[in-house]
Amino acid sequence: MDTYRETQFQALGDATRQRIVEQLADGPLPVGKLAAKFTVSRPAISQHLRVLERADLVEHRTSGTRRVYQLNPRGILSLRDYIDGFWTRALDGFKKKVEEVSEEGEL
Amino acid sequence: MTIREPVSDTTVRKSITVKATPDKTFRVFTKEIDTWWPRTHHIGKSPMTKAVLEGKMGGRCYSEQEDGTECDWGSILVWDPPRQFVMAWQINTSWQFEPDLAKSSEVYVRFTPEADGFTRVDLEHRHLERIGENIGAFRSALDSPGGWSGLLALFGARAEQAG
Repeated sequence: MDTYRETQFQALGDATRQRIVEQLADGPLPVGKLAAKFTVSRPAISQHLRVLERADLVEHRTSGTRRVYQLNPRGILSLRDYIDGFWTRALDGFKKKVEEVSEEGEL
Repeated sequence: MTIREPVSDTTVRKSITVKATPDKTFRVFTKEIDTWWPRTHHIGKSPMTKAVLEGKMGGRCYSEQEDGTECDWGSILVWDPPRQFVMAWQINTSWQFEPDLAKSSEVYVRFTPEADGFTRVDLEHRHLERIGENIGAFRSALDSPGGWSGLLALFGARAEQAG
């Protein structure tokens, strides 16, 4: 749905949230450690994380009393899916071409 | 090879077998890339007229555009004809040339002779997590009118599925 996509891009339309995503790209982090990397307050970071989580860009698990956040693989996999689709199409075209000219110029 | 967590799979793998010798297959894939590269895929500001891959260590991968400009999007990291080559895929999530190799993904292509004059082509597009580090920039990609806008359509479609 368009609304979903809007939510995802809007979620990334904030400099702090972009930085959170960049930090989590280096690996999962508990909220406290993540917040320590920012000058804004921990509640503010939690708020940003909720927005990112609603947009399916990050997810969390609970470890004891801590919430550990990480990137939601689906957010990244969309890029992977695109690359996958691109190479499928490109290699189809390549195969056609290389077989078409296969007899030319061969020793 | 180490791939950083948490991304579950940051490599795309493709294999095809073609009826041609390794020499020919390697040559068409690289020197003659212009004959098959999809015209829709470039990061120039005007339509693409030619794809060029310079066959040597450090060689440039670039496109020529209708407005006369050249647009770099990769470089050769390993050159070992006709067996294999590796190129840096220097496109960031803003659809701009990424000069920093540490932020670029890589395309590794291997050519293996098979029976009856066939060649197997194994392609690995790896280190996608390096692009993922800049995922925040996807937002500007939303406004990109370039030939890569199909990515956004797919990105959106994927987002829809996920939703």
